[in-house]
Amino acid sequence: MNWLAICEQSALPAFGGIAAWVEGKTVAIFNLGEQGIFAMDNTDPATGVSVLSRGLICDLQEDIFVASPLHKQHYSLTNGKCIEDESLSVELYQIKCEQGKVLINTAIVGD
Amino acid sequence: MGCIETELDLKPKLLVVGNGMVGHHFIEQLCDQGLNEQFQVEVFGCENLAAYDRVQLSKYFENGSAEALMLASVEAYAKRGIRLHLGKEIVHLDTETRSIFTSDDESSSYDKLVLATGSYPFVPPIEGRDRPQCLVYRTIDDLELISQAAKKAKSGVVIGGGLLGLEAANALLTLGIETHVVEFAPQLMPVQLNDKAGELLCEKIEALGVSVHTSKATSAIVAGEHARHRMIFNDDTFLETDLIVFSAGIRPQDTLARHSGIEVGERGGITVDSHCLTSAPDVYAIGECALWQQRIFGLVAPGYQMARVALSHIASTVSGSVATEFNGADMSTKLKLLGVDVASIGESRGVENAQYVELSDNQSGTYKKLWLDETGQFLKGAVLVGDASDYSLLLNQYLSGEKIEMPAISLLQQDSDVPVAFKDDAIICSCHQVTKADIVERVVAGDHSLAAIKGCTKAASGCGGCGALVQEIISQTMEAQGLETQQGICSHFEHDRQALFHLCQVEEISSFSALIGRHGTVDAARLGLGCDICKPLAASIFASLENEYVLAVEHANLQDSNDAYLGNLQKDGSYSVVPRIAGGEITPDKLIALGEIAKRHELYTKITGGQRIDLFGAALSDLPTIWQALIEQGFETGHAYGKSLRTVKSCVGSTWCRYGVQDSVGLAIELENRYKGLRAPHKIKFAVSGCTRECAEAQSKDIGVIATDKGWNLYVGGNGGMRPRHGDLFATDISTSVLVEYIDRILIFYTRTASRLQRTSVWLESLEGGLTYLKSVIIDDSLGIAAELELQMKKVVSTYQCEWKTSLDSPEFLARFSEFINPAQIPIGDTSKYQYLRGQRFPVDNKWGAGMISVKNVAVDPGEQGMDGLTAQVSPLKLVRQSTQKECEV
Repeated sequence: MNWLAICEQSALPAFGGIAAWVEGKTVAIFNLGEQGIFAMDNTDPATGVSVLSRGLICDLQEDIFVASPLHKQHYSLTNGKCIEDESLSVELYQIKCEQGKVLINTAIVGD
Repeated sequence: MGCIETELDLKPKLLVVGNGMVGHHFIEQLCDQGLNEQFQVEVFGCENLAAYDRVQLSKYFENGSAEALMLASVEAYAKRGIRLHLGKEIVHLDTETRSIFTSDDESSSYDKLVLATGSYPFVPPIEGRDRPQCLVYRTIDDLELISQAAKKAKSGVVIGGGLLGLEAANALLTLGIETHVVEFAPQLMPVQLNDKAGELLCEKIEALGVSVHTSKATSAIVAGEHARHRMIFNDDTFLETDLIVFSAGIRPQDTLARHSGIEVGERGGITVDSHCLTSAPDVYAIGECALWQQRIFGLVAPGYQMARVALSHIASTVSGSVATEFNGADMSTKLKLLGVDVASIGESRGVENAQYVELSDNQSGTYKKLWLDETGQFLKGAVLVGDASDYSLLLNQYLSGEKIEMPAISLLQQDSDVPVAFKDDAIICSCHQVTKADIVERVVAGDHSLAAIKGCTKAASGCGGCGALVQEIISQTMEAQGLETQQGICSHFEHDRQALFHLCQVEEISSFSALIGRHGTVDAARLGLGCDICKPLAASIFASLENEYVLAVEHANLQDSNDAYLGNLQKDGSYSVVPRIAGGEITPDKLIALGEIAKRHELYTKITGGQRIDLFGAALSDLPTIWQALIEQGFETGHAYGKSLRTVKSCVGSTWCRYGVQDSVGLAIELENRYKGLRAPHKIKFAVSGCTRECAEAQSKDIGVIATDKGWNLYVGGNGGMRPRHGDLFATDISTSVLVEYIDRILIFYTRTASRLQRTSVWLESLEGGLTYLKSVIIDDSLGIAAELELQMKKVVSTYQCEWKTSLDSPEFLARFSEFINPAQIPIGDTSKYQYLRGQRFPVDNKWGAGMISVKNVAVDPGEQGMDGLTAQVSPLKLVRQSTQKECEV
């Protein structure tokens, strides 16, 4: 376990995404209030571009997804899988809030 | 070469004389069946133009060019291996040696010959008929002559008040001269209409400013005292005019056949049998030149039918297939004459001992009459003036020959909300003989749009009159299949956009949580997150209604990719920046300022199709700095990121142009400033042209305005792009204030009623009743909502804000443009890579981007000149350099 403090919890935008630098990589953080806080690699696997934090949050098929702002593929915030293309998936990070800080586990959640 | 010729020579030769609509249809069908592979086909047209749409001829004056009317071209024929000779008159036909001869003495032999020579205008033998400026109305050349003559004329007379005569009158009216129609019979359209219908048509046409003179036979045309001509009538009255157009009927063009000894009718027309074969072997005649059982068929649909019959006979001689027969054709017709709907079916002037139902509505200006047989159970004919919406139903009732089950009057009292049930074999498109079953088959196969159905079945692609009906059949079929047509935008709402708009307006809903809580499905309401379909849609509706700042806290997370950051997201995750340049007018100082800002931020610059400048390659976090600089220089946001008004393109207009008749730039700026910021179902583009030359290409825009010497012509529903469509002429010669009033109403009506991401072109086509309906809502205020629509627009206009200015003025909004929550952690040597091509910065390509491009005589980089006249391959290696963001900053 390698938890890294990223920012103040109060700095996170509500119900939206934001990107963060984590050890030289970009990570998308989504703060969905009651539904929790999520982190995933910010890179859209379909294009290789770092944009997922800017996507729209969707509830579909009883799961929560982010839609890539480029071509609208949906990636699950809970398992990283893509609805449209089974071969695509995004790496997830563990994230938590403690004492007003946002912490990310730099070890990728393996599958 | 020799080989090829030999091979060609082996194929039998099929010659077609005439390249009008019917001749062209024959070729189209021939190619569809692949017979262009089996025959060596050559076509001879005596006009200098290839086939064009003669039915819509008067549109030539609306557009000022023949382009929109063209159906064929030499190139298009050549692609199918067919030679099209234009401006070649065939003067002699030798049926013994099977050859034809042109006026310049060239000859060609044939194995099969098709005569599609059409007809010529009949000019009655009146003294003085050959005076100058006495013209006919048949070809585009004729129209050009009329157009030129009208420039020097104050008034014009059309001789003949039939179908074509009224078309010609429409042309004169469009040309802006005082217009008269002189008809020999006591009423207009004496062939199709009964007296009362003719009377109503006459009233309606006179209301448009056309003077109608019935029961007048012209006995002579002499020099006038106040105008060029004086027409003397047989009742000793007279009429003076500068221009005369003869439109007193047509005669079959049978000269070629007549001189070659082919049998022709007593009163003209090439005699054909049920295969459209003439008396000479292997010679066919089709269309208006052909006489079948002593009848001439002067409409395009029977002509097309003959073309198919002749073709099937030719095909049967090579493949042994069974030839179809021509068994006469129905001459029912529905058309719009000077904007008035007119239709006639069957025995439209009545039959003996007939029962009838007559409905004359003076208030709405409609007249309908049904002719029934003696028993009153079978429909024999009908005439409709002012409202032809019952046409398809009545035509099918007539053609089916079936007993009317209800009292006949119920045929005229159909509830427009109840869909009409057609039988499977009912002909829906009479131009192309498409039945309901043909359409249903394609819908079931997956073609769900009118455009797709037009493409594969050709239905509604002839005169277009059946478009609404085809759409209805598509919807009915989809519903029958259990497919949802328009309902339920996504899994969170069971409403379509129109319903949601209505709910938000009536219940004054202005937040997504309220909308999904009250109207979302049960599951959707539980989480309340929505999706990438319903959220941007809700944001757009809120913006249309309240026009609040789109990134306000309650709206920011609803916005789609571009709106979300007030920029246009590009493939590399950067944004492009488009400041508004209203009407495309920009001062040199502002142009310099733009250049300096672009240079400072190392932005790739490109002129857009909307006459403004797009600056590419801005990182999200740099947007505020760039916009700060732009706003300081007097720019404002261009809303290029929004489903909203984009640009009002303009030509330079009367302030500079030698031809301009109105200040198109001035109007374009006024319109752009009025409607900027209006959020709509999709983007909206305008253009304003300063004269009929239409340099601003206004007819390809959602809203197009073309100057006339009396005001403006307004076009609606045009589109470029993937599915080009010319806008429909909505109003003519209107003042600027009326223009603005109409556009206000149209745009808000569109915003209220269109489907999600539906452009105005598709919206207009999807409206039941189409253009006529839209006109009734906007111009006649048939729904009584015009004032409400204007009020809504007034609100939008008065609450306009430059979203970038609002963003820059408030730190809490500005925070949104910080891409990273911890920007200090940016790794040294950012990974963003760029390459330089043609002197500008591009993203480094993965597989799609700028890549290697051949440049000719272009400076590619300072110090790197393109080789004069040679093609230089720009080496990416040489020009690529890596750049960090730090380097880009000044």
